[in-house]
Amino acid sequence: MYISTQKSLPRRTVLKQAGVALSLPFLDAMCPAFGASSPVKPKRFVGVSLALGLHNPFLVPKDKGASYTPSPYLKSLQDIRDKFTVISGTSHPGVKGGHTAEGSIYSACPMGRGKVSKNTISLDQLMAKHLGHETRFPSLVLNNSGERSPSYTENGSMIPAVSDSRKLFASLFVDDSPQAKTRQAEIAQGGQSIMDIVRSEAKALERQVGPGDREKLDEWYTSVRELEKRLEANEAWINKPKPKVKKAPQSPDRNSAPDITRAFLDTVLLALQTDSTRFVTLHCSHNAVRGLDGVDESYHSLSHHGRSEEKLDQLAIVEQAVIDHWANFLRQLQGAELLDDTMVLLTSNLGNASSHDNRNMPVLFGGGGYQHGQHLAFSQTNNYPLPNLYLSMLQNLGLEQGRFATSTSTMKGLV
Amino acid sequence: MKSQGNIGRIAAAFMSHRSLIFIPLLFSSAIGDLRSDLEPFLESHCYDCHDDIDAEGDLNLLDLKFDPSSPQDLKIWEEVFHRVELGEMPPKKKDRPEAGEMKRFLDSLEKPLTDAARRDLDEQGRVHGRRLTREEYENSLHDLLGIDVPLKDHLTADQEEGFENTSSHQQMSHFHLDSYLRAADVALGEAFKRAVNGDATYKKVYAPKILTTRRRGDGNYRGPEFRNGKAISWTMTLQFVGRMYPTRVPADGWYRVTIADVDAVNPKADGTVWGVLQSSSGSSAEPLLYPVGLIEATKNPTTRTYEAWIRKGHCLILKPDIGGAKNARISRGGNLVYNGQDLEKKGFQGIRFGEITVERIYPHATRWELRDKLFPGLNYKELKAPGFDHEAAFKRLISNFAWRAFRGQSNEERIKPYLALAKRTFAEKKDFVQALRSAYHAILCSPYFLTFVEKPGDLSGQALASRLSYLLWKSLPDDQLLKLAAGKKLHDPKILSAQIERMLANKKSERFINSFTDQWLDLRKIDFTQPDPRRFPFFDYPLQQSMLAETRAFVRELIHGNHSVQKLLRSDFAFLNSRLKRQYQLKNTPVKSGKGLQKVKVDPFARSGLLTQGAILKITADGSVTSPIVRGIWVNERILGRHIPPPPPNVPAVEPDIRGAVSIRDQLAKHSKEASCIGCHAKIDPAGFALESFDPIGQFRTKYGTKKTSAKVDPSGVTPDGLPFPGFQAWRGIYLKKPKMLARSFASQFLQYATGGEIYFSDRGYLDEIVEKSGVKGYGMKTLIHASLNSPIFLKK
Repeated sequence: MYISTQKSLPRRTVLKQAGVALSLPFLDAMCPAFGASSPVKPKRFVGVSLALGLHNPFLVPKDKGASYTPSPYLKSLQDIRDKFTVISGTSHPGVKGGHTAEGSIYSACPMGRGKVSKNTISLDQLMAKHLGHETRFPSLVLNNSGERSPSYTENGSMIPAVSDSRKLFASLFVDDSPQAKTRQAEIAQGGQSIMDIVRSEAKALERQVGPGDREKLDEWYTSVRELEKRLEANEAWINKPKPKVKKAPQSPDRNSAPDITRAFLDTVLLALQTDSTRFVTLHCSHNAVRGLDGVDESYHSLSHHGRSEEKLDQLAIVEQAVIDHWANFLRQLQGAELLDDTMVLLTSNLGNASSHDNRNMPVLFGGGGYQHGQHLAFSQTNNYPLPNLYLSMLQNLGLEQGRFATSTSTMKGLV
Repeated sequence: MKSQGNIGRIAAAFMSHRSLIFIPLLFSSAIGDLRSDLEPFLESHCYDCHDDIDAEGDLNLLDLKFDPSSPQDLKIWEEVFHRVELGEMPPKKKDRPEAGEMKRFLDSLEKPLTDAARRDLDEQGRVHGRRLTREEYENSLHDLLGIDVPLKDHLTADQEEGFENTSSHQQMSHFHLDSYLRAADVALGEAFKRAVNGDATYKKVYAPKILTTRRRGDGNYRGPEFRNGKAISWTMTLQFVGRMYPTRVPADGWYRVTIADVDAVNPKADGTVWGVLQSSSGSSAEPLLYPVGLIEATKNPTTRTYEAWIRKGHCLILKPDIGGAKNARISRGGNLVYNGQDLEKKGFQGIRFGEITVERIYPHATRWELRDKLFPGLNYKELKAPGFDHEAAFKRLISNFAWRAFRGQSNEERIKPYLALAKRTFAEKKDFVQALRSAYHAILCSPYFLTFVEKPGDLSGQALASRLSYLLWKSLPDDQLLKLAAGKKLHDPKILSAQIERMLANKKSERFINSFTDQWLDLRKIDFTQPDPRRFPFFDYPLQQSMLAETRAFVRELIHGNHSVQKLLRSDFAFLNSRLKRQYQLKNTPVKSGKGLQKVKVDPFARSGLLTQGAILKITADGSVTSPIVRGIWVNERILGRHIPPPPPNVPAVEPDIRGAVSIRDQLAKHSKEASCIGCHAKIDPAGFALESFDPIGQFRTKYGTKKTSAKVDPSGVTPDGLPFPGFQAWRGIYLKKPKMLARSFASQFLQYATGGEIYFSDRGYLDEIVEKSGVKGYGMKTLIHASLNSPIFLKK
C-alpha cells in the first residue's frame, strides 16, 4: 500500500503540473530519430519462439566449445556452423508455469500465477521503443496460429500477433486502394481528436472511481499517448508508397505449421530487406503438422511423447523441419548481406515439453556480427541466466542498458 | 527490527500521503499482539518444517510478517488459515493439535484477515476498471445500433485462462484502443450505410441440377452427385468435397439457408447419417471452412433451415462427417467422376437433398428499427429540408445516444466534447450525417462506454443496472432497468428479484448461459487438442459439437428448472442426440434419431451429471492420454470449490511414460509419496482417479489399451477426509452428501463471473449466508443465483 502510493503520487503530481512540461519528453524522444538517420548501418533482431520446446537430447551437443560434435538436430546446419552458437543450460530465473511461461520468453519476467502478476516489457519491444520509429512498422509481432504472442508492452499488455502471412504481406507491400487510404487518413485524423476527448474523460474518471482504479487509468493514459503517436506516424506513412517486391505472397497449407513458419520467414526477410521494420518476433504455436512424411499425429500430442520411440521419431521430423527453416532463414540473410547486422534467435519457454519444464530452454543464436561456431554449455542442473544474452543483444544494438530483467551481466563466453 | 521497518515505512507514507497515516499506526500495535497470539501454535506445529532453514514448500513462517499493507503476505496467511482449517496442516503424520488450540489459532487469525480484506474492499472495491469483453462489446454495438455484423474479429482477444471479464487480468494498450477505434468505425459504417442506402435484398433458389453443375473456371469438380432429381454428398476425404459453387453469395451478410428433403443414404444402425454444412471460398488459397450447422439425416426426408454469417464470394459445402467411415474413392485427376458408379449399392453413406434456398436476412433489426436507433424521433427527410436546426438535432441525438451507450451515466457536461466534435466536423464537411457519425464514434471509444464506472462502496443504481445486464444479457441495460436505476428502486430486493426473473426469461439470457458455462467449465478449450486419430478414429466434428450442446443444455436446465446443485454430480435426466447415444453406448435410452438434442430420462447411477459428459472429459485430457492430476485439479477448482496452489518451485513434473504397461497411477505413486507433494496430491488425485474410468474422449474403459497386456484402470482412491471409494459411483456418492460444499463452490464461481472481481477472505460470511438461503429451497441453482445477486459481494464495487 505504501509503495503504490509513493509510486502513483509523483505521476499524478506531474500530470497536475501539466502543460508545457509534458510536451518536452516527446520532443526529446523525437530528436534522436531524425538525428540518427545517418549512414550508420541499422541493426536488427528476429526472434523465433516455439510453444512446444525442442527435444533436448536431440538438440544439445554432447561436448562443448568450438569443436563440438553436432547433435542430431544440428547435422543439417553444418554448412553455416560458424554463423550460429548453440547455448545450453540456460533459462529465465524464477520463471515457471509450463505453457503459461510463454509470456516470459522475451520478458524473462517471473510472472507467478498469482493474482497481481503482471508482465514486463519484452526484449523486442524494448528495442522497438528506442529504435523502432525509423521504419513504417516499429516492430512485427507474428504467430503461425492465433493472436498469442510473447511480445509485451511496457505496461505488461500482450501485443496481439498477426497470424495470416498473406495479410502480413499485403500490409507490408501492397498499396491500399485510394478509398482505403482516404478512410485510413480519416481514422488517423479523427482518431486524434477522439483521443483528445478520451484523455480528458480518463482524467474526469479519476475523480469518480476509487484509488484502486488508478493503475488501470494509468494504462489508459499510456495507451492514449501511444496511440496518438502511432496515428500521427501512420498519417505520415499512409501516402508514402510501399516498397515493391518481386515475389508474390505464398499460400501455405493452413494445416502445416512448418509451411506457415516458412511463409512467414520469407516475408520477414523481405520486410528486413526493404527496411520496413527491424524488430520481429514470430511465435510458433500451431498444432497441425500435415504434409510431413512419417508424421500422422498433432504437434501437441507428439510433444507429450511420454518417451515412446514411435512418437519421438515423429516429433524429431517436426522439430527438424522447424530448425531447418530457421537455418534457411539464416542462409538467406547471409545471401542478402544482412546476417551480420541481424541477431536471430530460436528458443522456447519449454525445456521439456513432455513434462512442462521451463528449465534448460533450447537456444540457438545466430548472426549479429558475433564470433559464432561454438557450443556454450552451462549447467543443466544449475542454469545460467538467459537474460544475460538479452542484455548482450541490447548492448549490441548500441543501447546503454545496464540490466535486463534478472540479468546478472552480459553473456559469458559470447564474443 | 520489524517495528523499526514499520516506522520507517509509516514515515514514508506520512510524507507522501497524509490520509493513510492513522491506519498503519493502529495496525502496527495490533500486529505485535497478533504474532504473539499465533506464536505458541506456530512454535509447536509449524516451525518444524516451515522455518528459515527448511522452508518446506517455499514457506518460511518464522519470518513471515503480518503486514496489512502487504497483500502478498496476507495471501500466504490466508492460505495458512485454509490449510489448518481443512485439517491438511499440520500433516497427518505429525502430532495433531488439540481442538481448542486449533480454534484459538484460527480465531486469532480470522478476525484480522477479515478486517484487512474488508478495509481493502471498502477503500478500493473488488473490481478495477473492468472493460467490456469482445462478446460484450459486440452485443452492445448490435443492440445500440441495430446492426448484426460480427465485430469480435476486429478486437484483441480476451484472456484464455479463467473468466474473460476478470478485471485484474484484463490488459490495456494502444493496440486495444486502436482496435476499439477501428471496430467502432466498421460498426458505424454499416449502421449509417443501412440507414442511408437501405438494405440489400437477395433470394435464390437452386434446384439439385444447378447445384451439381460444373461451370467453366470452377476448377476440379468436388460437388455432390446428381441422381434421380436429387443431389447426394458421399463420405469422401478430398478437400472441399460437397462444394456447391453456384451458391456463392454476393456480399458479406447473414443468410438463411433452407435445404429441402434431406434424407440419409445407407444410414447407420441408428438410422442416421451425420454431416456438416459449411461455408468457404472453396479455393485452396483461402481454405478455411466456417461452420453453418450440423445435419442429422434419417430415412425420413425433412426440410432443414440454418442461419449464418457468410462472407462475400463464399459458397456452401455439404458433406457427411462420420468418424472412421469408409471413404468412396472415385476421383480422377482431382475431379469426382460419378458416372458408372453406384455408391449406394456399394454401401457408402450419403446425404441426399433437394433444392436449396439462400436468402439475405437482417436478424437483429430492420432498416426502420435501425434508423430509429440512429436518428430517434427524426424524420430522415427533415435533414434535407431548409431551415433544419442542426444544433438542436445534434444535441438531442447525441444526448440520447450517450445516455444509452453510457448506461444512464451521461449528463449535459459529459456530452459537451461530443457536441463540439460534431459541430466542428459539420463546419468542415457540411454534412450532418458525417458529423453525427464522428460524435458517435468518439462516444464508442469513451471509457464511460468501454469500462464499468463504479465508485467504492455500494453501487449506484446505474452501476448496478449495468452489472446486472452485462451479467444476464451480456449487453446494455434496457429502458426498464435504467428507469428503475434512475428512480433508485433497483436496490429493493423484491424489485431486484423480479428483474432477475424478467431478464432470465428473456431470450438474451441465452448469451449468459452459454458464455458462463463455457468459461466456468473451460468449454472454450474443446478445440485445443485433437484426439489421436489412430486411437479414436470415430471422433468427429458432429460429436464434438454435440458434446458442447449437451453440456450447455444441461446447465441451462439446471438453472431454469432451479434444480439442486447436487444434480451437477448425478441427475435423472440428460440432453442427448443420436450421435451422443452412439458414443456413450446407451442402448436402452429413448433417444429419437433425427430429432436433435432431446431431454431424456437416464439411469442416475449410470452415465449422468456433468462429470460424465464428453465435453468435460475431453477438455480435461490432452487428446491422447488422461491425467488424474489435470482432472483432479479441474474438479477441485470448478466443482468442489477447493483452490489448488501451483506446485512449489523445483518440483520436477511427472514425465509421462506411455511406452509399456506402466499406468499413470504407478508413475504418480512415486511422485506423490514425496513428503512435500503428499499434502496437495491427497486433495488433487482422488477425483482424478475416480474419473480414470473415462478415456480422453469420454468413453468408459476398464483398460488403458486394447491389448491383453494393457494396464488395468484402477479408479479407486481415498478422499482427503479419509473415505475410501472403489470407483466413480462411490466417489460421487460421497460428495452428493455435501450440498453445501457444492453450493458454495458454484456461488463463488458465479460471483466471480458476475462481478469481474475475485473472492476475498472476508466474503466467507457472505458465502455462508448465500448457501444457507439456498438450502431452504434444496440448493436450487436459480435460488443460488438470486441469493448471490442479493449479497453485498454483488451489490458493492
